[in-house]
Amino acid sequence: MSETVAIRIENLSKNFGRRKSKRIQAVKNLNLEVHAGQVYGFLGPNGAGKSTTIRMLLDLILPTEGNAYIFGQHVRREHQILRRVGALVEGATFYNFLNGRRNLEVLARTANHYDPARIEMLLGQVGLSHRANQRVKGYSTGMKQRLGLAAALLSDPELLILDEPTNGLDPAGMHEMREFIRDQAALHGKTVFLSSHLLGEIEQVCDRVAIIHLGEIVREGAVEDLLADKTYLRVEATPLDKAADVLREFWTVTVNGQSMTVVAARSDIPHVVRRLVDQQIDIFHVAAERQTLEEYFLSVVQEAVPHA
Amino acid sequence: MRDLFRAEWLKIAGNRWVASCLIWIFPMMAVGLTIVMGLILALSSDARTGFSQDDTYRWTDNAIGVWSIPNNPIGRLILLGFTAVVFAGEYQWPTWKNVVPRNRRVALILIKFLALGGFVVLAFVLMSILWTLGWGLLTQIAGTSYGPHITGKVLSEFAEDYVLAAGLAFTSTIISAGYAALAGMLTRSILGGVLVGFGLTLAEGFSILALLLIGWFTDFPEIVHAYRFLPFYNLINVSSWLTENKPLAMQPSEEGIFADIIFSDSLAFSVAVLAAWVVGLITLTAVLFRRQDIT
Repeated sequence: MSETVAIRIENLSKNFGRRKSKRIQAVKNLNLEVHAGQVYGFLGPNGAGKSTTIRMLLDLILPTEGNAYIFGQHVRREHQILRRVGALVEGATFYNFLNGRRNLEVLARTANHYDPARIEMLLGQVGLSHRANQRVKGYSTGMKQRLGLAAALLSDPELLILDEPTNGLDPAGMHEMREFIRDQAALHGKTVFLSSHLLGEIEQVCDRVAIIHLGEIVREGAVEDLLADKTYLRVEATPLDKAADVLREFWTVTVNGQSMTVVAARSDIPHVVRRLVDQQIDIFHVAAERQTLEEYFLSVVQEAVPHA
Repeated sequence: MRDLFRAEWLKIAGNRWVASCLIWIFPMMAVGLTIVMGLILALSSDARTGFSQDDTYRWTDNAIGVWSIPNNPIGRLILLGFTAVVFAGEYQWPTWKNVVPRNRRVALILIKFLALGGFVVLAFVLMSILWTLGWGLLTQIAGTSYGPHITGKVLSEFAEDYVLAAGLAFTSTIISAGYAALAGMLTRSILGGVLVGFGLTLAEGFSILALLLIGWFTDFPEIVHAYRFLPFYNLINVSSWLTENKPLAMQPSEEGIFADIIFSDSLAFSVAVLAAWVVGLITLTAVLFRRQDIT
């Protein structure tokens, strides 16, 4: 297995509950490959299996079946590979009775690579130098997230696994986080595996995404490819109902208040206009718009029908 | 491993409330009791007279006596609480998810036991020093003797007794800690760790009653022999060997079906059983933790 593959997940499954009647299959036969240097988005609604998958990648949860590899090494059998990984899992939690700096020291020592200078540098990078001597108990959620990010970077990892890193951050903090993630990949050559609900953020920073629903991957691919043929036309015309009836003969049309969306390609605009003009309909606006990742995600999740 | 040990030490020492209430309380108790008794002796001539009537105070007894505290119920409960915080705290905070990817699970568990043992030893060594010195101060105030005189022979005998008493207390603490660690890991709660750990310690002490009942009802008295393999009996047996140089002779009853059963085991047997329990409990904790999901 090549070192250029940062994460490889093979037929990974996880069941919770021993009794058959109460068994929950959180992750089902998952297969995934993330190449080194990519920023990879892992999307899914609550309970889709994102965190369970991430926990299996970090050897926090034992898979029921399948294997997870990081840089070609099995995460459970070759645990030392996790030293090349930095992670922030489901909200940053720390020893509240210790201060920020001491928390980082404890985590660095736990991994046998304590470097005080790096801790100071990271505290500065996440903007917590002035609060480093304060107990974590007094930190806001956003400050804890930033400390979590510093903790994830302690060993200068090649792979960053970030589970909902923007939770608790204000808009400025989210913007900083987006810049930070971009920099990690672009400037420092790190691979980033990112799970988030904030699809706008994901769309802006990720090269590829996987959408997981009910424990299964329902779509996977480059963001550009997934959204490439997902354009539609927004049309404003009067009378709108008549216009919709005319176009419905050829395309799928949905009326939304003062405008309608027509599921058609940009190249269809002249045909749409010609048909409306032929019917003496006044046109005020016709434009091709691309579906956002959020719209795409919602359509995919609604489409996905749970298996029996 | 040194860094990992230091990390564990920082966590425990940094949790000031827990460290103060569950571990430093022992040396603080020595200081507190000395101050209270000193004040009473300084202010009351009757108390001074009463105190000085006994002229058998020995610093060696005071220093060694401290090590009986881990075996009394209150001392045991406090140390179980300490163990439960060390092991179950990581679930409750929840910080295992930060720690587990950073080192091997087995190493994390072994270091916890090591750091826990280190704190217990440090606390009781400190307590025994403070208590011995404090008692010396009290004998000075009361004007009574505080022997024996320090000679090479006294020191070497004392050192031997001290190490044995400390070793026995340490073994018993680690066995209880093993119960609390297992309970804390399985219940994932500090309170669960304390309650189940204390329950297991009590149950183990009283298990002879259960064995006697089983032996009685099943007409199979030999089952009582199982008690020989439990820590409680072996701790007392080792103590008997160390203090009286003979085994603890235990006979469940002089008449009836248990009349022929007498426990009278060698020191080597008891040491081996205790070692097996210590290794077994630590191994079981590590093995269970290795397969446990950190959710």
